[in-house]
Amino acid sequence: MTMPQTQKTLTVTIDGIRTQVPDGTLVIEAARRVGVMVPHFCYHPKLKPDANCRMCLVEIEKIPKLQTSCSTRVADGMVVRSSVPHVEAARKSVLELLLGNHPLDCPVCDQGGRCDLQDFSHEYTPTVSRFKELKRVFPKQYLGSVIETQMNRCVSCMRCVRYCDEVMDAKALAAVGRGTLTQITHWSGNELECDMCGGCIQICPVGAITSRLSMYDYRPWMLKRTETICSFCGDGCQITVQRKDDQLIEVNSALGAGRNNGDLCARGYFGYHAGAHPDRVQHPLIRQPDGSFAAVTWEDALEHVARKLLTLKSAYGSDAIAGLMTARCTNEDMYVFQKFMRLVVGTNQIDSSARYGYVNGVRALRRVQGTHRWTVRYEDVLQADGIMLIGTNVHETNPITALQVKQAVKRNGATLMTLESLLPVRSTVSNITTLSRHHLTVRNGRFDAAIVGLLKAVCELQLVNAEVAERAPEFVQTIQAKVAGVSWQTIHEQSGLLQRDVEAAARAYGQSRRAVTLVGQDVLRAVGGEAMVTNLLDVQILTGHLQREGSGLGCLAEENNEQGAIEMGVTAEYLPGPSPLDETGSTAAFAQAWGQALPTGASATLMHVLRRAKAGDVKALFIVGENPVASLPPDAAVTDALDALDFLVCQELFLTETAKRAHVVLPACSAMEKDGTFTNTEGHVQPVRQAVEPVGESRPDWEMFSALSVLMEHPIEYGDVKDVFKEIRRIIPGYGLLGPASTPQPVNADVVARYVDGGFKEDVDRRYTLNQPTPESQGGMTLKLLQSVYHSGKYSTRAKGLMEVQGEGLLQINASEATRLGVKEGDAVCLSNEHGRATVSVTLNDRVPDAVAWFPEHFDEPVRPLFSLTVDPQTHVPVWKTTHVTITNVNDRPAGEGEIHDVMSF
Amino acid sequence: MLRAKYQNVIDDLLSRYPVKQSALLPLLNLAQKEEGYVSQAAMKEIAGILDLTPPQVFETVTFYTMLSLKPIGKFHVQVCRSLMCALVGADNLLGWLQKHLGIGVGQTTQDKMFTLSAVECLGSCGTGPMFQINDDYYERLTEEKVGRILEDLRQTGDCAMKSGPFLL
Repeated sequence: MTMPQTQKTLTVTIDGIRTQVPDGTLVIEAARRVGVMVPHFCYHPKLKPDANCRMCLVEIEKIPKLQTSCSTRVADGMVVRSSVPHVEAARKSVLELLLGNHPLDCPVCDQGGRCDLQDFSHEYTPTVSRFKELKRVFPKQYLGSVIETQMNRCVSCMRCVRYCDEVMDAKALAAVGRGTLTQITHWSGNELECDMCGGCIQICPVGAITSRLSMYDYRPWMLKRTETICSFCGDGCQITVQRKDDQLIEVNSALGAGRNNGDLCARGYFGYHAGAHPDRVQHPLIRQPDGSFAAVTWEDALEHVARKLLTLKSAYGSDAIAGLMTARCTNEDMYVFQKFMRLVVGTNQIDSSARYGYVNGVRALRRVQGTHRWTVRYEDVLQADGIMLIGTNVHETNPITALQVKQAVKRNGATLMTLESLLPVRSTVSNITTLSRHHLTVRNGRFDAAIVGLLKAVCELQLVNAEVAERAPEFVQTIQAKVAGVSWQTIHEQSGLLQRDVEAAARAYGQSRRAVTLVGQDVLRAVGGEAMVTNLLDVQILTGHLQREGSGLGCLAEENNEQGAIEMGVTAEYLPGPSPLDETGSTAAFAQAWGQALPTGASATLMHVLRRAKAGDVKALFIVGENPVASLPPDAAVTDALDALDFLVCQELFLTETAKRAHVVLPACSAMEKDGTFTNTEGHVQPVRQAVEPVGESRPDWEMFSALSVLMEHPIEYGDVKDVFKEIRRIIPGYGLLGPASTPQPVNADVVARYVDGGFKEDVDRRYTLNQPTPESQGGMTLKLLQSVYHSGKYSTRAKGLMEVQGEGLLQINASEATRLGVKEGDAVCLSNEHGRATVSVTLNDRVPDAVAWFPEHFDEPVRPLFSLTVDPQTHVPVWKTTHVTITNVNDRPAGEGEIHDVMSF
Repeated sequence: MLRAKYQNVIDDLLSRYPVKQSALLPLLNLAQKEEGYVSQAAMKEIAGILDLTPPQVFETVTFYTMLSLKPIGKFHVQVCRSLMCALVGADNLLGWLQKHLGIGVGQTTQDKMFTLSAVECLGSCGTGPMFQINDDYYERLTEEKVGRILEDLRQTGDCAMKSGPFLL
């Protein structure tokens, strides 16, 4: 269903005020528009009308009885009265009934001061009640480790239950019992298992559901609020950080705020303590001759770094120094970093964590359609009639993008097609594939075969757009010929997909009018990721979706500012813009803008930098927030590379595995402690604002680069962070306005024409050739590291709220595999392969396919030795999150094989 | 496991409704008949069959007095105490039962024979006071009749005084 283009407007009079509203508007919404506030509990703009609380009664002329304004739609000429005595009397009795069973515990209730029941009671109720019965008494309950319910306070509006169903699609909350004894719980005394989005806490109009992270600590009017952007995933949600003095109290998000429209996920809602962890590095540290760190002053630390860098530069040349940066930093930090590395140090050897896969997507988008951003927005997802998800696991990786997809399907009736490596099994943790009309479970991570299958179906089912066939016959014929050479049998053997399923999905996609494709980590972080995204763009071209309004392809960023990292020029192949580094035009433009020639040395990706360090060609490494020791498997030999360095500087929040090896550690601010901007995965540039004071002596990253540049006698100075943004705005397109851009980046027709007229030929053979499947070892299982909805990288494991929700890594397998292995929930199993061995505990999860085991990447330390690294030959993306293992029940091991509780490498 | 034993019954139930979730109550009845109560395992299984979540099944179970979450006696005595029955002595009826069985409302006798519940209107308003034991109605009850009914059930497992219900 798409929005009708021309909508009928109706005239309505509310309390004497005439107004015009679109057809379909609810009376309560029309009232709000003219400033008439109708009291309500169960109504919420995000939810379908339920009309259970009876608080919003109004009088409507020509209807004999009072009507609930939350469920009555405006009719033309309607006359509504909200503030007349008998309406107010009716509301008074509703409140009397509610208060008849409500405790007088406002003084200890965390909602006190922002409670709808409190406000309406002040407005309507006399202080005496006619009810004499005893009040119900429920004991307080803990719904899991971070949510508390006080059901005595509940007004049974069911907003929480409805939100959990309609918006989150988790259906984890139940309204148990009947009448006044109704209470909200999970089920049958079981510990709450859900997405932990905190939505029930946010949407509760009273204090019945509250967060355990900040109980009894504050009153709402004591809190100072700051609107900023969440620093966990690429969705870029607007959050309101609330503090009392300098103590973080709560994070929430107001309805209508940001791209998330007030919705949050577990990370956003419960993860705000990550930066407040007591282990933060508070002072600059310099390694002493005995190997320990000593806290020093900023002057000493910066002078030491500057002197070392200058010495190494003059001894070995600029290209003996390289830089790596995390994509969690602000745009300003990243921009100044690359400028510092290029102009002060004089090297192009810089890379960021966008290298772990996001760069694959951007490279393909730039090549085929000439954009580096999405050509669609969340609004287009909501209005799409066809949505295809490919390797996203979106409800865990990008939960707010997932909410748009859920709304599109549940409310607007879009057809969802999912090519995912999980099973569509419903549980109380939401699973996007259960909403899918055409779900295809891709086996062995062979998304390349699945995508070629889609193309084959598009070609064979005559779904190729006639205009495209006429305009670019060679392109169409080449691809037709290529896919004809791949048999359905091969596709099935490699990806497990059946011809008829792929055809059904392709048909639904091809016949959509507005089709949005979202691509996730299974594709982007795989070998050949760029080729797969390019092939998906081929699907778009063939079906005519590429240049159609409202259709497009988006790549999902795992970290909050991967898009910004690429646009700021902190990837090996790009200058800011992103402009290609190997294009003389763009280097000349930047040389002019910066008033200095750019270094001419070669760039180096993350893997190149590590290799060059190990070989002794790179002597000094400047690592900003990145932790390659823990982000790559042992056979990447990161520690060897770092130990071979003469000088390692880390700018960090914590003493990570990498920072522990540094010669100097400079304490950096977390995103809550500084100003700046993030660019979200959709391509919106959003303001990050300082919410709390920097911890210890920590400083924003860009200030340190700027200070170093002065000490290295090549000053890059800015008055404050706004000056950096002004320079970014002048130099980089797309940074004119903060906040959601009104229109997405358009497809560049010239680039598309160049591509279909011959550009595609360059690698078409490679892209359409399927490699032989990896042979599976006997009885082996695929072990896959994947992201959990409760965590983001390793950073979130410092957040105490999230550690309460998920504090350890458990191996997830489905029930039939557990039976086969003879293990049950909580048992220990031994994982082993040629690289090593590890012992972990098992948990059952029926969305894991057969012969596959999942492990959360945030806790990967015990299993990391089992993995080995593959580097994409084209884009140098390091890929390693899948391996083959043999799983055995620890109890099955014959006696005398020795203790196996520790990880051992063979 | 219901599915292993009743696959045909379940298929038949599912075939009766345009939306499969509508088969929730019949399946819960099946589970209740099978085990004497609705167990967690049954709720999980039914949720799986109907594409619901266990909390959704659980909240439905808690709404209905004829479904129980814990094991009940062989005979489930459900006393109507809605207005009409109350006017003709439902409270007395509960009192007699408590005296004869030696248990309170919501409890089960030690020999696991009887469970006593107080429920809302059973639609037999012209013949109160009344109760329902398992699927059968017993109407116009007196203390003497109650004693005989309980005795018969204890002895033979059946009682000739049952009169309905008539719609089953």
